[in-house]
Amino acid sequence: MRAYLPFIVIGVFTGSLYALAAAGLVLTYKTSGVFNFAHGAVGMFSAYVFFHFHVSWGWPTLPSILIAVLGFAPLMGILLDRGLLRWLEGAGAVAYIVATLGLLVLLQGLAVVWKTGERFTIAPYFPLDKHRIGDVFVTTEQLLVVGIVLAVGLALVAFFRFTTLGLKTRAVVTNRELTGLVGTNSGAVTTGSWILGCVIAALSAVLFVPTLGLDPVNLTLLVLTAVAAATAGRLTNLPVTMVAGFALGVAQSLTTKAVAPHLGLLGIPSSLPFIVLFLIMVFSPKRAFKTATGGEEKTGTGVVGPEKIRLGSIAVVTAGAVFLPAVLKEFQLVTATHTVAMVLIFASLSLLVGLGREISLCHAIFAGFAATTLSHFLSAGVPYLPALILAALVMVPVAALVAIPSLRLSGLFLALATFGFGKMVQDILFPTSLAFGRSGVAAIPRPSLFHGPVAFYYLVLGMTVAGVLVVEVVRVGRLGRILRAVADSPTAIQSLGVNPTASRVFVFCLSAFLAGLGGGLIGSLFQNINPSSFEFSQSLLWVTVLVAAGARTFGGSVTAAVLLIAAPAFIRSETITLWQPVAFGLTAMIMAQLPNGLVGLVSRQPDWSRLAAQARWRQDRRRATERYVNVVLAQAGTAER
Amino acid sequence: MLEFRGVSAGYGTVPVLRGVDLRVPSGATVALLGANGAGKTTLLRTAAGLIRPTGGEVIFDGQRVDHEPYHLRARRGLCLLPEGRGIFRDLTVRDNLTMFGAGLKTSDVVKIAVDAFPILEEKLNVPAGSLSGGQQQMVSVVRALLPGTSVVLADELSVGLAPVVVDEIFDVVLRLKASGRSLLIVEQYVDRVLQVADYVYILHKGRVAFVGEPEQCLHTEIFDQYVGAAAHS
Repeated sequence: MRAYLPFIVIGVFTGSLYALAAAGLVLTYKTSGVFNFAHGAVGMFSAYVFFHFHVSWGWPTLPSILIAVLGFAPLMGILLDRGLLRWLEGAGAVAYIVATLGLLVLLQGLAVVWKTGERFTIAPYFPLDKHRIGDVFVTTEQLLVVGIVLAVGLALVAFFRFTTLGLKTRAVVTNRELTGLVGTNSGAVTTGSWILGCVIAALSAVLFVPTLGLDPVNLTLLVLTAVAAATAGRLTNLPVTMVAGFALGVAQSLTTKAVAPHLGLLGIPSSLPFIVLFLIMVFSPKRAFKTATGGEEKTGTGVVGPEKIRLGSIAVVTAGAVFLPAVLKEFQLVTATHTVAMVLIFASLSLLVGLGREISLCHAIFAGFAATTLSHFLSAGVPYLPALILAALVMVPVAALVAIPSLRLSGLFLALATFGFGKMVQDILFPTSLAFGRSGVAAIPRPSLFHGPVAFYYLVLGMTVAGVLVVEVVRVGRLGRILRAVADSPTAIQSLGVNPTASRVFVFCLSAFLAGLGGGLIGSLFQNINPSSFEFSQSLLWVTVLVAAGARTFGGSVTAAVLLIAAPAFIRSETITLWQPVAFGLTAMIMAQLPNGLVGLVSRQPDWSRLAAQARWRQDRRRATERYVNVVLAQAGTAER
Repeated sequence: MLEFRGVSAGYGTVPVLRGVDLRVPSGATVALLGANGAGKTTLLRTAAGLIRPTGGEVIFDGQRVDHEPYHLRARRGLCLLPEGRGIFRDLTVRDNLTMFGAGLKTSDVVKIAVDAFPILEEKLNVPAGSLSGGQQQMVSVVRALLPGTSVVLADELSVGLAPVVVDEIFDVVLRLKASGRSLLIVEQYVDRVLQVADYVYILHKGRVAFVGEPEQCLHTEIFDQYVGAAAHS
């Protein structure tokens, strides 16, 4: 036992970070129904603001912290609420997910532009001298930080219980419209809770930056751990969430000690939050999150009438692509092949995002995992094409494993689960011999028949065209119709005897299969890949790029691939590469509620004033539905009595 | 006093109200009748500010209010009792009353509530959503009784309630009328609302089809055509 005590102390310390971050996340989700994927990123950027004042300009610690936490963060909260969320009001859960992902990518991009992606260390604010408490040593820093977090937690609980503003916030959560009808400005209350949420995000980041160091990734991923704690509190219960945060920290620290002798298990502690999230999802009854996610709106996909296969545009693009090798130099052909393979991956993603209105945040992992599986099959002597298809097929059960428990609950949980799953596979599975192995490199030779660059280009083109046609057939067929109906009204489709979860799981698996094909092809293109070829965080970028380009049609997938791969390679400007994520993030935020992104803009100019009118109309419709549900509930209540 | 001058409103591109003129004079009780989908609820929601009119003017106490957000109109004394139950289901009854009486002492609001509905006294610390339908409606109606409310917009107060409770709610409506507040009432029990109303408006497809006093309307063709069948069934 004594050997574990120091680990418990460390666990409580990191747990306080998780508790604080999770509290901020729950706070904003509860009051606005928006799950802020950028919660960690807001904290991360606030920490950069602190860094700028404290280190670059040499300001003393306290004023710098105050500027970051009480100056920048509230501003961020106001901007988020008044700018982004008002603009998206009523546009549906997916639009919110995409917009906050866009913000995450944007903030990360801005941090890199501003301070490079380099990792900075910051001297501790508090003394590190040790105190002996019983059998264990505790530093002043640990005591003070845990104390601050506990104080903030108690203050939050007291705020909700005992203050008028807290009561008003609870009132907004219960019935936003009525809050206005009794004379309280519900908009101001929501803005207030976003300010508070951002302040807490900033505080947690700034408090822990001396421990974690400052880079654009680490603090951003804090949201992942916070998610697990928040899910334990059913996304609404603040005290439970905070306790879960502490418990996670301790569990993580103890696991670190337990797995220390086993090199292969080193990824487990960092994946613990996801394992917890996964277990909660599997073992929660379906209704557990009803109150939390019941307000999630379904807005349909905006497609009216029957869909047609866009054979014309596919034929024109393919014809153009067929002549490319004639005009390109060899190094350009590599980029072109990469772009074409990415079209396949984006098409697989568009099946989810554009058709089913679901978000997957682990497609890069499917691609990477399939590539390494292909490498194993090839070295076992399986011929290339069967090996490629088998490798992609392996992704199907993997995808089902993530999709079944999460889709039971809601679309938000699919996004959360894929987010965590991606990180877990990267940390636990990729270093094992199942994937890259200890060497970190997987060799994927090209098939002998298609070994040359031109021949391989045509192989990739052929596979991509076949994959795109599969996507198109699904889109226009019965399954596509069901998915559009599910996106519109899951209740209605259930009343017709269709199991919506089964259709959604099937499409998710199909999408993973196609992404696997794309990943295998990209692997063979470069012939040697390593874990950084398919980092899980790329999945986030992919979603934002696809939404920015247009998630609904083939044209969007092509545009996305060209924007992401071809454009920077051909333009070859460092400035453009540097600003690329910023541009993608920003565009995704703006395009989140447009049905078909940039491609949709070109093919049909949106009527911005009509979009604003629609947002107002959706607000009214949502309220009308709430009212109707209230009436039915009230009637049912009276009938019982 | 509340007045509509040529108000049009709707949801998205679908118009519901088409040029409605309506007056609720100070201290008067106005019954708003019409078939399903005639636009009654839309009219009340437009008056309260939940829906922005696409044309015309909404005037409250001599001032145009149609571009004012709804929480500011509520502060002026315009009180919409929405269809369903206008309560915060997850808050206790006491917290509900605190929310209703912003600027008032909670103890005063509780006194008004218990005075009107004695049964609420023992329910003060219970989540409002766990009350029976009738008790929930009582909590909701307390809002109209608070000082500062001058115009009450009541949307189907009796929906889903037992007849005994409907009596109790109508007693309160009478008290509101006696206290000099203006009332605009949408109600399924047409006979009962006609007994208390000073004026009657009948809406048909978003337009005012009839304006007059209750005695006049009972025997008009319009009444039989748009309301009668429903009222007597």
